[in-house]
Amino acid sequence: MSDNHKEHSHNEPHMGIPQYIGIFMILVVGTALTYITAQWDLDRFFSGANTLLALLIAFTKMTFVVLYFMHVRWNGRLIWVTVTGSFVFMLIMFAFTMQDYLTRGSGIFTP
Amino acid sequence: MSDTHATDHHYHPPGLAHQFEDMQQQEESNIIGMWMFLAQEIMFFGGMFLVYLLFRSKYPMAFAAGSNHLDAFLGGANTLVLIVSSLTMALTVYYAQKSNRMMQVIMIILTMIFGAAFLGVKAVEYTDKYSHGLVPYANWNKRTAKKADGAHSETKEVKKFYASAAAAPGESAKHEYYNPTGEFQWTNWNESDPLIKLAVDNNYLTADEKLGYFTTNAQGEREFSQEKFTGKIRIFFWIYFAMTGLHAIHMIIGLGMMAWLLWKAWQGTYSAEFYSPVEIAGLYWHFVDIVWIFLFPLLYLLGRHFLHGGGH
Repeated sequence: MSDNHKEHSHNEPHMGIPQYIGIFMILVVGTALTYITAQWDLDRFFSGANTLLALLIAFTKMTFVVLYFMHVRWNGRLIWVTVTGSFVFMLIMFAFTMQDYLTRGSGIFTP
Repeated sequence: MSDTHATDHHYHPPGLAHQFEDMQQQEESNIIGMWMFLAQEIMFFGGMFLVYLLFRSKYPMAFAAGSNHLDAFLGGANTLVLIVSSLTMALTVYYAQKSNRMMQVIMIILTMIFGAAFLGVKAVEYTDKYSHGLVPYANWNKRTAKKADGAHSETKEVKKFYASAAAAPGESAKHEYYNPTGEFQWTNWNESDPLIKLAVDNNYLTADEKLGYFTTNAQGEREFSQEKFTGKIRIFFWIYFAMTGLHAIHMIIGLGMMAWLLWKAWQGTYSAEFYSPVEIAGLYWHFVDIVWIFLFPLLYLLGRHFLHGGGH
């Protein structure tokens, strides 16, 4: 593209191969961490700590894939809205369903 | 490159559809379109994750027990295989942007090889679950199919089991797949089981679990029910097969897309001027990878510390 058009042309690769390998290594380390930390008893700190950590690692991995492998980092704002919006709507679906199910039947059963 | 773009309005890039102003606008529209599709895929898989969330919050112990019958090593290895395929896919886009035809073709082939390897490992896992009767519905396992009168047919495998069991009782059962009732094959759980004892003694059980795993005996006391507990583990395996199965279907569709992409890339269709299909296929492939990034810890790694080591 000509210089007077846009400062960053979409035709140019956004990252070099070393950067791609770097993101890949982060994902590999994340997978190894997920596997290793699952063997640790983190639930002694609070219930669900193991799952929480696994999900945090998964979210981090997802963020790297979305931003760099899927090039969202360099995409326009409309794409940012679409990406974050779809995840927010999924969370709304989770939240509204669970606020019903988690509040059902409490106090009825006595152990 | 459209160097003449600003001055010469008659220049028309070969990949540009007539309804777009320029390549940049076309590219952006394509990506937005794909993300709109992926947004509904997120809701689609989100529904499955919601079912998972719901039942796991109800029966966490049964989920942990079911998860421990999955091979976490194979699941982890498959995660790595998918990540490698994601890298090669990202590099396919990179080489398309560099107009490097040969490297595009090589990277697409590598992506397909790793995608197929993933499905191969998945097939091994499914076969293992099938052989152990860990299928959602008892009579789906044809090796253990019931006859019309309710008796179990003596398949080749069953006969082989009896022959080997007679030779070395107790030992062979580990290696021979024999599953007379088509039920889950594992050590029966009972109230003295360390996991269940721990959960009951420390009051870990959720209200749903107290109702879901126990029956009341003749004396009016609560009693752990093997049958009811197995029923809850069955829910886990329903979810496991539904989610991984759906993911595998996405992988197969992805492989089909890769085959088409390979053909087009071989013809030299994609260059820095026009590589939208590569980018779009890449978005799809990475999305399927992301789904697995979540499926792996949520299905394979539940209660690992609880049942295997971790100080217990």
